[in-house]
Amino acid sequence: MNKTDKFCLLCAQPLHFAPSWQTLLLRCFPPCICEKCKGQFVRSTSATALYQYNDAMKAYLHQYKFLQDVALAKVFRQELHAQFKQEKAIIIPIPMHPMKQKERTFSHTEELLKAANISFTQLLEKVTVETQSSKNREQRIQSAPLFRLMPEAQVQHKDYLLFDDIKTTGTTLRHAKQVLLEAGARNVRTFTLING
Amino acid sequence: MNYKGWLLPPALRDFHEGRIWLKEHTPFAKYDIEQAINRKYFYIIDGIQKIPRVRCNRCYNDNLHDFTEYDCSKCLQKCVYCRHCLKMGRVSTCTPLLIWKGPKACRIKQHPLQWTGQLTAQQQRAANELLESVIAGKSHLLNAVCGAGKTELLFQSVHYALEKGLRVCIAAPRADVVLELFPRFQKAFPQTLIHAYYSGAPKQHGYAQLILATTHQLYRFEQAFDVMMVDEADAFPYSFDATLERAVQKAKTSDAPIYFITATPSQTLINQYKDSYSFIPNRYHHKPLPVPYFCSLWGYEKSIKRGKLPRKLKAWTEERLAKNEPFLIFFPTVELLNLAIPLFQRIHANILAVHATDPERKHKVLQLRDEKIPGLLTTTILERGITIKNVQVAVVGAESTIFTASALIQIAGRVGRHASYTNGEVVLFHHGVTLAMDEARQNILANNKEGSNDE
Ligand SMILES: [Zn+2]
Ligand SMILES: [Zn+2]
Ligand SMILES: [Zn+2]
Repeated sequence: MNKTDKFCLLCAQPLHFAPSWQTLLLRCFPPCICEKCKGQFVRSTSATALYQYNDAMKAYLHQYKFLQDVALAKVFRQELHAQFKQEKAIIIPIPMHPMKQKERTFSHTEELLKAANISFTQLLEKVTVETQSSKNREQRIQSAPLFRLMPEAQVQHKDYLLFDDIKTTGTTLRHAKQVLLEAGARNVRTFTLING
Repeated sequence: MNYKGWLLPPALRDFHEGRIWLKEHTPFAKYDIEQAINRKYFYIIDGIQKIPRVRCNRCYNDNLHDFTEYDCSKCLQKCVYCRHCLKMGRVSTCTPLLIWKGPKACRIKQHPLQWTGQLTAQQQRAANELLESVIAGKSHLLNAVCGAGKTELLFQSVHYALEKGLRVCIAAPRADVVLELFPRFQKAFPQTLIHAYYSGAPKQHGYAQLILATTHQLYRFEQAFDVMMVDEADAFPYSFDATLERAVQKAKTSDAPIYFITATPSQTLINQYKDSYSFIPNRYHHKPLPVPYFCSLWGYEKSIKRGKLPRKLKAWTEERLAKNEPFLIFFPTVELLNLAIPLFQRIHANILAVHATDPERKHKVLQLRDEKIPGLLTTTILERGITIKNVQVAVVGAESTIFTASALIQIAGRVGRHASYTNGEVVLFHHGVTLAMDEARQNILANNKEGSNDE
């Protein structure tokens, strides 16, 4: 369990991996998907996302979030680690509604960061249960606040970085950002795994 | 709570009997499920058992690499889930599984068999032997060469079992085999409710006494079947692995016999069933199976990668085109297939390629059958319901490990199925002859010999 993977997490083909000086000295994560599966993901040109949304990404999100395959949190750990290891801002993953999280049994944004060995804090909580995708554009823009500060959360006059799995319209991130700014954050940036 | 006034919905019983199901995924109202649980109509077991070793209680997977541990937001503990059967709905430590032990569904004993076809003498003999085993309640191995007409042999035995009030399952390794068997059984048993289960199958209602299922779908049954038939026919590129074997054991009642139907039994299987074994060496048209011949194709992989079709392979293809014979060329990998297809299309633009998960698969095969295209390159055995008249077969890279002896026998079995074209080419292009190739050839020669003695 949870050790070096011998098979690709996505296609179950055997992984041929011999620990090299790179993985040992540079503390790289051992690969958990095969080169072929890796090649199906396309890097994003945006400065605030790692990947583009495509069929492979759609299948990935389906298996990770809908089929609840938590193991897939590891798939992008190397890239996420590289992205965030020098990050000075305080990283806040976009939270799920507690009821939703209980249903899914895990928070997909937190698990991505955990797998990448990136520390984070949580100051926000989700107040609505409906998903953004169930509303039309106008409803999304005009909707009531999606987040509030957690009780006793201390927002400091510091830099924050909000992290989400995917950005479609940006509404979610904008709402979260606003809550932090109103509570006194100095600067809030956003970053997503996928650019929708 | 008042459960005096509660009546068990028959649909709930009919669905859950014989199944092992995630409590969270039952299609019935929470209230009814709770009532049934209160009345002890269900066994409730852990999704993942931890003692004596970690095991998934649905698919019996116990390979540690197929489990993942995580911090669970539902039970607030470290939870483990099974990745092996994930696509059927995740089974984890905190997801209980339900097994029905309540009142039994009503079974019907009238299952008229409406089949008017004729069995050959060989088929009839095997069908009788199989029936004897079913009556005696003992397991049986039916070894029938490719194209022997195995489905029809089962009707009598299935009929007998159904009318005895037994629940019967016919399991096959692939969805397309299930889909092909389904209408044939519906036609033979017009008054019997039959369910067919494969990945993506529609919802089916009622209590079916006869179930056709992919072996994979058997994970969802437990102690369900009194008669278990496993049709291994044309399994390539899949084979019957240990987890699937366990699925078969789990889906049947503990003393239910197993009837194994295969064209390519392993020696272990033959030894296991030596007391009740039937063999049909002949195809229904009584002509011998085409015998594969070997042809060296040194360095074919390099050559194809360089964009050049090996000379002998090119010549073979051109000969088929000149003689107007439809052909199938098998490749060991999708990669090689993809490299080869443009080279073939230079010879003839209408040659197509198909692989195991190609959504257009069936359509392309039909095009070949209907003579709309001259030939197909493929990585897998094609739909077995479809007989391609006068088809010629080549295997490229026959030495590859994916081409086991039984895979090669099944591939050869594609040829000469049609009664007016009982012969044809089976050529194994290779970069070195393997034991498997030799074995396949010897096996076919032996079958043909036995078949001719039998006449
Ligand atoms: Zn892979
Ligand atoms: Zn399982
Ligand atoms: Zn749990």
